[in-house]
Amino acid sequence: MISYANSAVAVRDDIGQAHTVAWRRIARAGAWLDGATRVAIAAEARHASQCRLCARRKAALSPYGISGQHDSLGGLPERVVEQIHCIIRDPGRLTRQWFDGIIASGTSDCEYVEIVGVIATVVSIDTFCRAIGLPLHPLPEPVVGEPHRRRPRSARQRGEAWLPLIHPKDLEGDLDTEEEKVLAAYWAGIVSNIRRALSLVPEEAFAWFQLVETQYLQGKWMWDFANEYRAISHAQIELIAGRVSVLNQCFY
Amino acid sequence: MLRESSKAKGENYDLALLTGVKGDGNVPYGALLVAFAEAVLGDDDARLSAIRSEIRAKLGDAALIDAAAIAATFNAIDRVADSTGIPIEDAKAAATADFRAALGINAFAENRGEIADPRDRR
Repeated sequence: MISYANSAVAVRDDIGQAHTVAWRRIARAGAWLDGATRVAIAAEARHASQCRLCARRKAALSPYGISGQHDSLGGLPERVVEQIHCIIRDPGRLTRQWFDGIIASGTSDCEYVEIVGVIATVVSIDTFCRAIGLPLHPLPEPVVGEPHRRRPRSARQRGEAWLPLIHPKDLEGDLDTEEEKVLAAYWAGIVSNIRRALSLVPEEAFAWFQLVETQYLQGKWMWDFANEYRAISHAQIELIAGRVSVLNQCFY
Repeated sequence: MLRESSKAKGENYDLALLTGVKGDGNVPYGALLVAFAEAVLGDDDARLSAIRSEIRAKLGDAALIDAAAIAATFNAIDRVADSTGIPIEDAKAAATADFRAALGINAFAENRGEIADPRDRR
């Protein structure tokens, strides 16, 4: 579905394959949202850059003191548009209070996580295209299907994040769902918080990190400073990563 | 991770490069790669195109792809981290306390009403 055959610069096959898998996932029903909603979220994520309310908030010292209506495509509830636009436009100033407001407005915590998963996928692939000078890929056509709506019982709120997360210890022993079993096999032990961030929807956590490991480094390579696995060194990789994160004002 | 790489390699990478300080910071082509990251997140298409060409000429096409993939990954990872409120891990907090304070990175968390170092919650 996604092809880089016309790119002036040869794109690694594994990146093309990972992007195709991720793009197809957007179009299909997830755990809590159907394919049409997921594609609409992706479209709204792209549209957020044109929102005048977001522009005013971005320029303001205190963004949430400015009320108004987002310039949206109109296909999603305002609470979902608020979540998408704020994560796209001003992620470094999201607050717990803002998150609580989104949940209080009617978005479930599981839906919230799935929306973040779709946003992350679109941002990642769109940023890659911009970085190498290609136009954005057309969004996929939604695939008909129903979300399974299974909440993992292993996810718990321990006060460590805004959302319940799965801890690797929670995945020991018998598990209720296939999604948890996949995550247990994938994690296999100690896991960083960023890998756990979307674990309330296990398949989002799994799929998101499949994309991350393809674009960045496999987990076992991250700390192997004796060897280089990319055309740029560990130091050069972390320099780019760190500078991007500082520009986004991301503390993590 | 940049610091860990620096330690492992016995190099002395200047972490201030992350905050926009000029120069290579002892990382080969450091200034060029920082400029690339800034251009990818910016809106000056002509500047991004020029930097892209410079990376291809100096580091090669494969390096451009890998650099683009890293920028793409972290532009999204940052949003996942910030929208879920995950803290940094205790070990990472301990290992980075000095340079987070020195570079002013703690302010990113504190400006959001968060406690930068999760160990301070206890």
